Amino acid sequence: MIEFSDVSKIYDNDIVLKDISFTINKGDLAFVTGPSGVGKTTLLKLIYAGAIPDEGNITVAGWEIRKLQQRTIPYLRRHVGVVFQDFRLLNNKNVFDNVALALRIHNMHPKEIRDDVNAVLKDVKLQHKSHSFPDHLSGGEQQRVVIARAMVSKPTVLLADEPTGNLDSANSKIIMDLFKEINARGTTVLIATHNESLFQQSGRRVIYLKDSSIEMEISK
Amino acid sequence: MRVLLYSIQSALKNIWAEKWINLLTTLSVGIGLLILSAFITVSLNMDSVLKKWSRSFGIVVYLDDQISAEATGTVRDLFKQDADIMEVNYISEDEALSELRDILGADASILDDLEQNPLPSSFELKLKSSLLEPVFVKKKAETIVKMPGVADVQYGEKWLASLNTVSRIMKASTIFLGGAIFIAIIFITYNTIKIFFYRRKEEIETLKLLGATKSFIRLPFLLEGLVLGVIGGIIGSLTLYGIHSLIVAKSIDFMPSVRAIIISIPDEIFLSVPFVGAFMSFIGSFIAVGKIRY
Repeated sequence: MIEFSDVSKIYDNDIVLKDISFTINKGDLAFVTGPSGVGKTTLLKLIYAGAIPDEGNITVAGWEIRKLQQRTIPYLRRHVGVVFQDFRLLNNKNVFDNVALALRIHNMHPKEIRDDVNAVLKDVKLQHKSHSFPDHLSGGEQQRVVIARAMVSKPTVLLADEPTGNLDSANSKIIMDLFKEINARGTTVLIATHNESLFQQSGRRVIYLKDSSIEMEISK
Repeated sequence: MRVLLYSIQSALKNIWAEKWINLLTTLSVGIGLLILSAFITVSLNMDSVLKKWSRSFGIVVYLDDQISAEATGTVRDLFKQDADIMEVNYISEDEALSELRDILGADASILDDLEQNPLPSSFELKLKSSLLEPVFVKKKAETIVKMPGVADVQYGEKWLASLNTVSRIMKASTIFLGGAIFIAIIFITYNTIKIFFYRRKEEIETLKLLGATKSFIRLPFLLEGLVLGVIGGIIGSLTLYGIHSLIVAKSIDFMPSVRAIIISIPDEIFLSVPFVGAFMSFIGSFIAVGKIRY
């Protein structure tokens, strides 16, 4: 599902990632970890074509990232849901419209959009907040909206960048439970985090990054 | 279709959300279009006056004193066959004298002492209005004067040149002003759309990450430019209508003579101004979104 082969990424003569190779199979839930600035976010960016590798090849759900043209990138992104640490919710739209945006891009029928958004808001237990605006929600609730937005278009891959970075332990647990549930439905999930408690004793695969390279991998 | 509907909704919401900057933009576009349409209206009025004047323009061809009736007929036939000449009027010696008497009025008695009529017979020619160019008319006069039986040719050379200069200045000014306003409106819309784009940069980033295509992102901005142009055009059109109506109404009381040269503005101008505004603003927003880096 996600395959990195000798991938390197350089920003302004600074090697951010070097010779990274790994494979994440369909239906896996895996973690990428390492100290701040080690390249976790860059690694995720490479998966959704937010950055293009300088060396090596990346394949995501059958798409070869280096061969993508600008006009085809949006179609890859429709297969890859992303949960951002800083949420990236639109404050001028309510919860429903924020989530619906992902489906409007897909040119779906309004009735389908209504049904799918309500269903996904029910999954993240936010159906009662559908008319609220993001700045009236708690951090945990905002993160659940982001997850709902990433999930509503039923992507094959879900990426999460420090999804619990701004949350307390109770909310972190709720978010992690959601990821497990999403994964259980067949979506491949890759979570970048420096919070070891998220993956310790999870029995899931963990990729450790250090000095721009993979230091070790713990398989489940 | 659904994307278009969503874009229209989105554009209208955004226009309302940024109502103050949009108000300034539409007013600027409206004023620009008002100036342009007012100038075109003035030009049309001027043109109508010039056309009226040009209708009275004629070339007078004086014939030799001794010209026979047969030769006069030949000259007349030649003029009638000439496609450049619209109208041919023959004025005999007697008619010329009679006209002179009418002009002199009470002083016509001075003509009574004349032993013979000193006035020659002549032809008055009216050229097609499209041919009233000083250079062309001069050439025509030079050709006619060489014809057998023709003694002299006279026409209002200076008058024609002045008329032509005024007409050229009006046309050039309209093109220049039109061009300047065209660029100004494009620039105004371009800047407004660019400001919107920077204000919504985060939203655009999010849309891109969710898989939005270029057209999905750009369409609302293009529509915003279009709507601003239409609203600006309607403002310009209504203001022009108001000013024109006011001038017409007031001129009856204060300057009745002005009314004679004020023409009614064709409906096409009122109707076309919003479309012209839409077109110009669309180009402005098109250039602005074209510069967006995706």
